Amino acid sequence: MSAPSQAESSTSARKRSKWDTFDSDEPSPRRVKIKRPRRSPTSRSPLPSSTNTPAAALRPSSVSLPASPLRHPGAASDPSRSRYVPRRPAYPPITPCRSVYAYERLNHIEEGSYGVVFRARDKETGEIVALKKLKLDQEKGGFPITSLREVMALMTCRHEHVVPIREIVVGDTLTQIFIVMDFIEHDLKTLLTVMPSPFLQSEIKTLLHQLLSAVAHCHANWVLHRDLKTSNLLMNNRGQIKVADFGLARTFGDPLGKMTELVVTLWYRAPEILLGAKTYSTAIDLWSVGCIFGELLLNEPVFQAKGEIEMLSMISKLLGPPTEDSWPGYLDLPLAKTISFPAKTSSLRARFPYVTETGIDLLGRLLMYDPERRITAEEAMQHPYFSESPLPKHPDLFSSFPSIAAGEKRVKVRSPSAPQRVANYQMEFDFGV
Amino acid sequence: MSLPHPLLYPLASAAQLAQTPCRADGIPAWLEEDLRAEGCRLIQSAGILLGAPQVVMATAQVLFQRFWYVTSMREFSVSQIAMGALYLASKLEEHIARMRDIINIFDLLLSRLRYSLAHPTAPPESFKYSPMSYYSNEYYTYKDELVIAEMQLLKRLAFNVQVQLPYNTMVNYLNVLGLGRVEGIAQKAWGFLNDALQTPAYAVYPFPTIACAAIHLAAREASVCLPEPPEHEPWWELFDADLEDMEQVCGWVLRLYRRQDEEERELVQNLLLGGRREVRQWLDEVEPKAST
Repeated sequence: MSAPSQAESSTSARKRSKWDTFDSDEPSPRRVKIKRPRRSPTSRSPLPSSTNTPAAALRPSSVSLPASPLRHPGAASDPSRSRYVPRRPAYPPITPCRSVYAYERLNHIEEGSYGVVFRARDKETGEIVALKKLKLDQEKGGFPITSLREVMALMTCRHEHVVPIREIVVGDTLTQIFIVMDFIEHDLKTLLTVMPSPFLQSEIKTLLHQLLSAVAHCHANWVLHRDLKTSNLLMNNRGQIKVADFGLARTFGDPLGKMTELVVTLWYRAPEILLGAKTYSTAIDLWSVGCIFGELLLNEPVFQAKGEIEMLSMISKLLGPPTEDSWPGYLDLPLAKTISFPAKTSSLRARFPYVTETGIDLLGRLLMYDPERRITAEEAMQHPYFSESPLPKHPDLFSSFPSIAAGEKRVKVRSPSAPQRVANYQMEFDFGV
Repeated sequence: MSLPHPLLYPLASAAQLAQTPCRADGIPAWLEEDLRAEGCRLIQSAGILLGAPQVVMATAQVLFQRFWYVTSMREFSVSQIAMGALYLASKLEEHIARMRDIINIFDLLLSRLRYSLAHPTAPPESFKYSPMSYYSNEYYTYKDELVIAEMQLLKRLAFNVQVQLPYNTMVNYLNVLGLGRVEGIAQKAWGFLNDALQTPAYAVYPFPTIACAAIHLAAREASVCLPEPPEHEPWWELFDADLEDMEQVCGWVLRLYRRQDEEERELVQNLLLGGRREVRQWLDEVEPKAST
């Protein structure tokens, strides 16, 4: 196991006594809440088996497994149960959407192409959440498939580093639908531009590893994100990023079906899509991860192209042109013959001078022309880059920043500072102005 | 991880089972079950005409069954929700159907049913379908109904429209039990899984229970002995199923094969065609009788 996940699990592990022998990977029972109205068993209940079971056995076995055998002797049969088959009462009941009036609207965060995002407060618990209003104005085909995919992807890809969806709420009319998510203070894009100093190598490792774990989880659940970019990565003040905006996400199958080529923001778009491949798969998300990795290192987007042709030439300038060797079969792609690649050699090393060899190796594997040979998220998480010095920084050690989304302004401390060694060389010449 | 397991799709709670919205409105249990089954058969036939893969019809039927645990048939028409469920499922399974196709197919199926009710003795071939015109009011009425039904399904199920089907699991179970190659068993059990879609089973029990129930029925029918008490440990325990739950599922499935009372069937089909208006009218007629 690589370093960041160990570091994360240590947070919960250190609270346990040292003779507690349970594996730290196992879920601790106290953290899971199962909301379920329980009724006293009645003789005419249609579910004799579930209502007569002692309360302890009603919890999903995956949860009560580690600690239950002693505490709940009634659940003696539970260790033999599959953790994937919890007892019936562990399943949530069928409930309708709640009303949006359960939330109090605070401020407007942003307006994306798929809807408006508000910050809001849960009237009951006081928690701050983000409400994303879906755009449903006079849709021709009923509920828009893209929104449906977004909701389903968020629901199936629940993960530590995917923005947690809480519920869907409805307004007064059928066209008012809101996705309720946890409010996360920053998006990585804005943060990169306002941060006083760029991320350290150790911090980049932590963030990249978190991103990879989320991508691996989505892919394991047969979901492609299809729009990974820094503005879609949210970050909280506890050093955790959360993948957000599944507005372009969809499920994929094996064999791959035909999917639209109109995906991924241009700067993060993989070469096979640019060249008009008819099918594509998980590798397109990994290309985007490579672009994000590069952006974290450079503190600016790697490929800032204005059009698809320019994008392809920028890629070839950085990586060298694709060849039949580096990308077997690329000439068969619809647009491959219409495009000439100017550069002759790779300039990856020159563009990223301050990264170690292993770092360049990982970047090169993410930005690999051939989608077949591009590294998978699962493999990338095991890459030596994450185990060499400097090690990934523990998320708790990240500094925090004022949240622009929450309307917090950066407080500038107006006091003279001690002379600084390097950095702001402008200061020295900046006398009169 | 403190996150809820994604496999935890919603199931009707004990309270929802004890008193469904339909029964609260005075619709008797047998009638509700028959209307649910009739609606599911409508979804299945429409899906076949649509050329959709079985997974679309299966998903649609599960969503349809769930819906009636939060809504009464007095409030929404069975055929309207069936149509919405099929459309929604076609989106969920990435096999998107055209609204017009779905509407035409439902119109055909309902017209045929109407004809056979009006002419009980006429041979089925005598039915002639005249399609509605492209811009007819009828079409737009259907379309509004379809959009509303889809939205209501999403809203009333709180967008928890993920469905876990037991087919692949059941095949694995059969192989574990050494029945994978026994003549006819897999086919039979598969058929029982299909038929169970017409019952509330999928909205009430986790999928391993349903898979076990189908195997149970198929083994009985093929006279195959599986390890059972008192001589052996019960085989279904291996798959985390409970006998009572399985028997409930089997009961629902076997009920589908009973000989239906002629009068009852006519009532069910009339209520299906007439929708909520017919249901309300019927309830108003029956209610005074029931209270005396």
